[in-house]
Amino acid sequence: MDHTSFLERWFRRAALTVIIIFFMFPIFWIVLMSLQTNETILRSPPSMSFAPTLDNYTAILAGRLDSNVASMGIDFVNNLMNSIILSVCSVAVALALGVPAAYAFARHKFRGSEDIAFTLLSFRFAPPLLVLLPLTLYFQEIGLADTYLGLVWVYQLICLPLILWIVRGYFEDISPDIEYAYRIAGHSWFSTFRKIALPLAGPGIAAAGLLAFIFAWNNFIFALVLASADKQPVTVGALAFVTASGIQYGQIAAAIVLSIAPTLALALWAQRYLVEGLSLGAVKG
Amino acid sequence: MYEKEKDAIGAFLRGEMDRRALIRRLGGLGVTAASAGTLYNMMATSALAADFDWQKHKGKSVKLLLNKHPYTDAMIANLPAFKDLTGMDVSYDIFPEDVYFDKVTAALSSRSSEYDAFMTGAYMTWTYGPAGWIVDHNEWLSDSSKTNPNYNWDDMLEGVRKSCAWNGVPGGELGSADAKQWCIPWGYEQNNLTFNAAMFEKAGVKVPTNLDEMLEAAAAVQAGNDGVYGVGVRGSRSWATIHPGFLSAYANFGEADLSNDGGKLSAAMNTAGSKEFHSKWVKMIQESGASDWSTHTWYQVGTDLGAGKSAMIFDADILGYFMNGGENAMAGQLAFAPFAANPAASAPTPNIWIWSLAMSKFSKDLDATWYFMQWASGPEHGLFGATEMDFVNPVRKSVWDSDVFRERLNKNYPGYVEMHDVSAPGASIKFTAQPLFFDLTTEWAATLQRMVANEVPVDEGLDQLAESMNSQLTEAGLR
Repeated sequence: MDHTSFLERWFRRAALTVIIIFFMFPIFWIVLMSLQTNETILRSPPSMSFAPTLDNYTAILAGRLDSNVASMGIDFVNNLMNSIILSVCSVAVALALGVPAAYAFARHKFRGSEDIAFTLLSFRFAPPLLVLLPLTLYFQEIGLADTYLGLVWVYQLICLPLILWIVRGYFEDISPDIEYAYRIAGHSWFSTFRKIALPLAGPGIAAAGLLAFIFAWNNFIFALVLASADKQPVTVGALAFVTASGIQYGQIAAAIVLSIAPTLALALWAQRYLVEGLSLGAVKG
Repeated sequence: MYEKEKDAIGAFLRGEMDRRALIRRLGGLGVTAASAGTLYNMMATSALAADFDWQKHKGKSVKLLLNKHPYTDAMIANLPAFKDLTGMDVSYDIFPEDVYFDKVTAALSSRSSEYDAFMTGAYMTWTYGPAGWIVDHNEWLSDSSKTNPNYNWDDMLEGVRKSCAWNGVPGGELGSADAKQWCIPWGYEQNNLTFNAAMFEKAGVKVPTNLDEMLEAAAAVQAGNDGVYGVGVRGSRSWATIHPGFLSAYANFGEADLSNDGGKLSAAMNTAGSKEFHSKWVKMIQESGASDWSTHTWYQVGTDLGAGKSAMIFDADILGYFMNGGENAMAGQLAFAPFAANPAASAPTPNIWIWSLAMSKFSKDLDATWYFMQWASGPEHGLFGATEMDFVNPVRKSVWDSDVFRERLNKNYPGYVEMHDVSAPGASIKFTAQPLFFDLTTEWAATLQRMVANEVPVDEGLDQLAESMNSQLTEAGLR
């Protein structure tokens, strides 16, 4: 039974509208910019009236950047592919390693378990540049510099601790009695993990995976230091529109729209899991 | 086809014909400037090959680390000529400028052998050189067996060439006899005036010729044009705020950043002359600068000029060059003028930024890399880039002497050539070379911000700045 008054409902809707406008306006403005030329974007004062153009998207997809002085080659589509490869592979590896590890930390109290778990978490604390410079030397020696494999490995510094700690909390929230009951029925440990623990922790794993994907997608410094230009993600590629001969605002906006599209689509699809998974994993009985 | 044209260019390359005669002859044969440039480059490449064993490193490969820049585009467009000439292969990584120097620092500090040569600014070599990350290029320049006899090192503008050489001693004079050539100049920027001729005309204002006039002109042109501010200069909390117009004007009054007393450095910006200069500069920004001046970098200064939001800039000449083209609202309406801030000075003394090339100490084959370096910084490529691409400003006198190049500039960039000619003799790096350069200069910019915001009076601010700098210099053992 709904006890809220009309006034309260009206205020709630108004507040929601204000919040949506506040958060969505920058994205809306970027989409508008992506449909304009530099000249109309830089008009003073700014105006909402303009003839929309898809030239910025065409330039990005065709790989040509028209700057103030000349036409330069850009490889933004390649940057986009690199981001997809690096983020998907990194999250896949982190899930394959992190979920069983999280289960072990949640269910099996062994000597040094907390120390190991904290050590893995501490990867998140390290300043990236401090880690990357010595790592570059080692990577060069073992042939991992400038390879996708090496980058996916380094991306575990972002993904693995995140997945491990979120999923661990989630496993801890699931009553072990359900698993014990399944074990008593004669099933193995692995079977219990696969058939009981994993499905119950599904929303938490999806939420952790999605968060890890977003963090990996937004990473900037790892590939910049460890790889050459052909393996750079969108975060580095988008800067190609800031050139000595001027800033191509329209093309930057189009690049932003293209680069947030995959994460936005994934987040919208999985938002139910994201909210449910994060809130359940965070509350401990 | 083109046999007569080739004969004419060949005669010019052999010194049998002067430039004007060559242009007249090519014009008579109906050759356009662009075609003439292509033919010249083709012939020059052949001439290069005749005097030097360019094929010595045939089959080898060089990898470059480059910044996304029109200079890079010009080089890439001409790379086939280098490959044909030497039989070498060239690969490259291009990074956006915003992250470029992070990539360079990471590659050099990790002693990566991936890159053989890279683009750099001369200021950066004050860190890279003493750290042992780059070579002293004198070793190759002075070796006639490794350097093409037609390379003509002396053809480089003297101030530019010397600005890339430092002996590594804090406060040491740039280009001194014992200096190491840490990098080879490639293209450079002077700091002078670019102005919107239509706005000046509308306001009935004359182009300023000294700092006092600039203050008046900026205020008058701002008053005479709605929604436009008078003068664009940089203002962000960065060393890059000090080095363009500000230092060029400052040096024109004979003021210095640091004084050098027998190798002991001290801050020199709290002299009476410096205080007077700072007061005028601060007043100019307060009265006629951008309202968000403290965020202005290269990009905002240029964008506002190109969009018609500012009437003039006192910044890099090539920034004005870029804004006078493309889809900028003010394209084709900008003009250029030399600027000597001090009415008593005989000529401008622009501080300069030099995009240079340097060989990494960790390169696997420095001799082969030098073949690329001398080709890329040679007169033939310089002329190709200047006449067919946007390789401005070239660092070689011979390129500036090119009538094709000068006519190209005169056609679309009024006043540019004259501005360069007047300023080039006094153009050099005006900073004192020392290891705390970036820290001290950034602090200078921060103090300038406080003065413009009226958080501190100019006199007091400069005294505080000098005290802080002296303390840092003492701590670093430089004072």
